[in-house]
Amino acid sequence: MPQLGKQSNQMAINQVQPKTSSKSTLSLKKQKGTLSLLLFVLPAFIFYFVFLLIPTVGAGFYSFTDWNALSQTFHFVGFSNYIEAFKDDPDFRHSFFFTLKYTAFMFVFQNVIALLLALFIETRVRTKGFFRTIFFMPNMLSLIISALMFSFIFSNVLPELSKKAIFHLLDQPWIGDAKVSFYSILIVSLWHGIGYMMVIYMAALQGVPSHLKEAAMIDGANPFQRLIHVTIPMIMHAITICAFLTLNGAFKVFDVVYALTAGGPGRSTQVMALNIYEEAFSNNFRYGYANAKAMILFLIVLVITLIQVKVLKKKEVEA
Amino acid sequence: MKRLYGVAATLILAIFAAISFFPIYMAFINSFKTQGEIFKSVLKLPTKLHFENYTGVFEQLDLFHSAWNTVLVTVIGLAGIVICGSLAGYKLARTPGKLSNFIFTLFLASMLVPFHSIMITLTKIAKGLHVQGSIYGLGLIYIGLGVNMAIFLYHGFVKTIPKELEEAARIDGCNDFQIFTKIIFPLLKPITATILILDILWLWNDFLLPLIMLTDVNNYTLMLSVNMLFGEYNSDWPKILSGLIITALPVVVFYAIFQKYILKGIADGAIK
Amino acid sequence: MKKAISSVLSFMLGIGLLAGCSSNDTASSQNDTKASKQVELKVFIGQPRFKKQYETYFDQFVKKEKQDKNIDVKIKLELPNVNQASQLLKTRLASGDSPDIFSLHAINDIPLFNKAGYLEDLSKEPFADKLYDTVKPAVTTTDGKVVAVPLETLQWGYLYNKKIFSDLGLKIPQTMSEMKETVKVLKQHNITPFLLTYKDAYIPQLFLPLTVGGDVSTTTPDFIKSMNEGKGSFKDVKDLFNVMDLVNANGTKRAFENGQDQGASDFANGKAAMWVQGPWMADSIVSANKDFEFGVAPLPINDDPKATLLNLSTSTSLAVSKMSKNKAVAKDLINYILDDKDSSDFYKSLGFNAVSKVHTFEPFPWLKESSDYVSQGRAYQDPAIPSAVKDESQKLFQSYLAGDASKADVIKGLDRAWDQFNKNNK
Repeated sequence: MPQLGKQSNQMAINQVQPKTSSKSTLSLKKQKGTLSLLLFVLPAFIFYFVFLLIPTVGAGFYSFTDWNALSQTFHFVGFSNYIEAFKDDPDFRHSFFFTLKYTAFMFVFQNVIALLLALFIETRVRTKGFFRTIFFMPNMLSLIISALMFSFIFSNVLPELSKKAIFHLLDQPWIGDAKVSFYSILIVSLWHGIGYMMVIYMAALQGVPSHLKEAAMIDGANPFQRLIHVTIPMIMHAITICAFLTLNGAFKVFDVVYALTAGGPGRSTQVMALNIYEEAFSNNFRYGYANAKAMILFLIVLVITLIQVKVLKKKEVEA
Repeated sequence: MKRLYGVAATLILAIFAAISFFPIYMAFINSFKTQGEIFKSVLKLPTKLHFENYTGVFEQLDLFHSAWNTVLVTVIGLAGIVICGSLAGYKLARTPGKLSNFIFTLFLASMLVPFHSIMITLTKIAKGLHVQGSIYGLGLIYIGLGVNMAIFLYHGFVKTIPKELEEAARIDGCNDFQIFTKIIFPLLKPITATILILDILWLWNDFLLPLIMLTDVNNYTLMLSVNMLFGEYNSDWPKILSGLIITALPVVVFYAIFQKYILKGIADGAIK
Repeated sequence: MKKAISSVLSFMLGIGLLAGCSSNDTASSQNDTKASKQVELKVFIGQPRFKKQYETYFDQFVKKEKQDKNIDVKIKLELPNVNQASQLLKTRLASGDSPDIFSLHAINDIPLFNKAGYLEDLSKEPFADKLYDTVKPAVTTTDGKVVAVPLETLQWGYLYNKKIFSDLGLKIPQTMSEMKETVKVLKQHNITPFLLTYKDAYIPQLFLPLTVGGDVSTTTPDFIKSMNEGKGSFKDVKDLFNVMDLVNANGTKRAFENGQDQGASDFANGKAAMWVQGPWMADSIVSANKDFEFGVAPLPINDDPKATLLNLSTSTSLAVSKMSKNKAVAKDLINYILDDKDSSDFYKSLGFNAVSKVHTFEPFPWLKESSDYVSQGRAYQDPAIPSAVKDESQKLFQSYLAGDASKADVIKGLDRAWDQFNKNNK
């Protein structure tokens, strides 16, 4: 038995250059490896396949039809939905640029603030747990209810506060003006989401070996230099994950906008997900067309994510 | 200098913390007011503590039952996501090659499609498989929806575990599955903890999927029950706010109790 | 390894089976015994606030059905929140899970659902003849079939604060000029004339049926027809913006921060004298201030008093699904809604207006006033504007009132919305 183990061990190491082993043993090992892979993956795959993959294919399927989610009949319209989305839909275009702007801001602010908070809290000794809980608490609340709470605050609390002189700056049309509403939505999303990223960053920061930081200090690096050259490279993995989650979440944002402004006034704050939702469930109930737009949104996010992952993976390797 | 930096940092943290906590504080004090009081002035403290908002919401919505339903869904979903996700994520990370990459990409492919697009097809499937309408079925569906993110996270983390451990175990005669259960899975505690925290929040607070799948009021989750307080023309805000606080409380308590344990797990794992 | 994996799989299969067993089996079992027939009805009504009333009334129905026809009916009542009801219903229908009876908005939904083939023809049912003439058209399709029994009917224009009006000796304005006078008097007494609540997009949208209805009843009777044929334009509705501009210029501040909830409270506390809203807000208003008295009045849209009319519309109605496997019992339930003996108490408990001669209860105070208008003929049926156009008008009017869109933009947008509706519903 031990001898067999040693042999397979050797083969595992030498898989790339099978000089010493015969072809048949290699393919057997590979088959065993494949079978093992398939068996390990099977449970997850079954659930995923049935409950997510097939519905996604279904959504793709409907994107080539003119179904309205109610009729018992529909027609295939080929790519005309996709073409219409690009050429004939100014609202969709507007929502794309609005969502892009929102995502850019979220990407920067959510990660920077979360990282800063994580850094600050890590230096606390006694109040660490307290601050951690406070900042994470917003994330424990349901997003829709948080947005409704903020709706309350923007409509009732801030105007009342602004009557007192120091808070005069708070007298803004938080929900009534397109420009200000952008920031209102941003504030709610940041309030809710920063805790999420902060938890991940804190875990990563705890893994930065302190001897590295000490070495840098001895070498004369100030805190800022230590941050850039020691800490950040060591947490690159976490940055990649957080960047991915931020981009993914921001492009698909729906709940906050739905509950806060409903895309209004008019369509000025309508993000893509909301545009798609309204296409399917109001006006002419164009479910097929909405799905085409959803596929487009999906492709956009996919491309951006792939680019982002590639860029950050490179940085990871270097670290 | 360092002292000044420390004080400044504490000050900034305190300001941010106050801003962060403010909405929760608002929800809390307003949950004790009457509807009229809320609309007259949101900032003022309640003149009288209307505890009946809380007791009323328990009666009206049968909250204990909803809470139990939510716990069931969450536990089934989490168990499935962690088990299936870790199994798959581990093996995918350890198996190089085209098939592995293909499967991994396949798992991630659906991550970005908005829920509303898959809603109708998912309902048809759920109905066909007779998982619609039950809490257990809902839990199973969540496994399908959440396992890909878990695989992604496990996949990334496994790469930081040195292969020597598995090879040593193989020499000792363990098969693949034993290697996984005895050696790998314990090492995955940190990322499992992260997945647990993030997914608990998702499952506990999710709204649209339970809405579609659960038709019987007796099967409602907490979010669905609280949603019933939003009327067409008249929403019962005091009850809504108290319902919200009650819904959020279990998760906050869970986190408060286990945070040291959870984060210790994360820290321990990270140091290795 | 195989043993472990198979035990994991069988564990999950076990859960799956459990799920299957405990999922709600909706197959209706019909025992052809001499004892009784068993029927299960799935009823879907997007009005959770009336849970008690519906449950009570349906219990009565179950007893009656057992007595009269010896059928054991089990009713599975689903009362989703109105904000998700429409989506939910469509999802159910699309996945083959149709309820036997469901609620829908008479004016907005019947054309769509009828075209999709989900509505059972109820013209020959006894209840159809019991309906008031003012209400029957709302639940009748364009090809003359009665397809639903109306529950909620509305008579509306705008709401006014009775105390303020009586204190200042104001009479209900019958023309725009009179309205401008009223506004002047109110402002002289430092009372804000109109309550503005634009946050909930359906509220600015209310101007659409109010102005179109008035114009269609007087100057442009063929408007709807010409729009459906693609020949008309909203330019023809000359009074589209007049009263909207007047209201907007003389109203409360921060209109976009306030929606119906805040509005009801503000109105009940006398923050403004008038609110372009309907009596469906009664509950909300009265719960904010139980001594508050308000009235319903027709909104003037120009200087022709003949165009100052109330809008008569029907919203929530109950229909029988064409896909139902229990149509006979479902139809019995629908007929029971207008039962000669019991319906009156039922409608009264719901706070709905009378829709039929079988209703003998005292109407609400504001309803007495509006019913007078109706009996004088000073009302019109809610114009058959496609709901797609109404949805679009929500956005367009919000933009207009926020200053982001011009009148020309709004007209173009509305025309385009109707065009798209025509295209999508060939």
